[in-house]
Amino acid sequence: MPVHAAGSRLYHGVKFKHLVKKSGSATSAKSSNISLNLVPFVDMMTILVCFLLMVFSSSGALLQAQKGLELPVAQNNSVLQQAPVIIVTKSEITYQGQMIATVESVLRDDSPTFKIDALFERLDAAGKKIKDDVAESAAGISKAVAKDLVKACEEAKQGIRPQAGKICPEGLAILQADETTDVRLINKIVNTAKAAGFDNLLFAVKNKS
Amino acid sequence: MGASVGTDGKGSVNVELNIVPFIDLMSCLTAFLLVTAVWVNIAQINIQPKGKTRDTANVQQDDEHVTLSVLVQSDQIWIGLSRVNEFQPIPKLASGEHDWDKYKTALEVHKKSAFFSERQDLEIAAESTAASQVKYQDIIRAMDVAVQVGFMDVGLSDPAGLAARPTL
Repeated sequence: MPVHAAGSRLYHGVKFKHLVKKSGSATSAKSSNISLNLVPFVDMMTILVCFLLMVFSSSGALLQAQKGLELPVAQNNSVLQQAPVIIVTKSEITYQGQMIATVESVLRDDSPTFKIDALFERLDAAGKKIKDDVAESAAGISKAVAKDLVKACEEAKQGIRPQAGKICPEGLAILQADETTDVRLINKIVNTAKAAGFDNLLFAVKNKS
Repeated sequence: MGASVGTDGKGSVNVELNIVPFIDLMSCLTAFLLVTAVWVNIAQINIQPKGKTRDTANVQQDDEHVTLSVLVQSDQIWIGLSRVNEFQPIPKLASGEHDWDKYKTALEVHKKSAFFSERQDLEIAAESTAASQVKYQDIIRAMDVAVQVGFMDVGLSDPAGLAARPTL
């Protein structure tokens, strides 16, 4: 096997002679051909792709980015799961992207029920639908809920702690609130969720580590 | 073709790989990953609403069951044990921050006690008023520290529904 001196080998096998004037051919002393060394480029691309694949996360897609909403920071957390999302920004409360009430009006409301009525109605309807979906999926009528989540619901009834990201969707909701939100508002939302049968709340946080 | 053999000369066995498709693939993949990258890592803390709500204020508690309750206020944190009626206040630091280290130490002591060595439940509530507000970040921090100590079943309760509530 012949041994060649180190150096660029790219495009040696491609005959581009017809594109080059005879006076400036690659082989002559005054060559006008430039062979780019693509090895560093390929190296850089490979490293970049590896890095991006490592940081790739699908959990962020579960939550909608809200202007001016800063999530609180926490150390001990687990992966997010798909569930109805209640968003509390500095000015308003939305459920699944639909406006429910303004923060000011909810804080002003001193009703003895300590609930947000508009949110209760939405959550109650959503809770019933999720319950039906789980029941139909468990009976094999539909595939609205994944098998592992149906299994998680059965385990929850037996008191078995669910795995992270595989919590029974019945009574599960995500609360995405700004870190500066007044806790009175959070208390009202938690109370409303509990009244509507949402006994499991996932508080969206920013990962500290 | 992907490779051409023996183009260098007579009898050469050098192989030249055509890396153009590879570069194309890499470029497409890089562009896709850059566009879909989520730079803020969002996670969750799993909380179960616990305790009595204002609607169920007359529900009888099991007298034998000791509950560890945490009440976050704007100027201090209270840690209390129901039935025993022991309360420990943790005032804010001079810097205006809650004393999270002292709070963590106090929870660790309770976790090692006979009541909670085998248990993981704890209830947290925050009392906020228009004049002295408690921020959402504070309650998340309180829950985060509780989970860190080993109280995995953290429940968020209404301040009026805490099993052990300090009387001022």
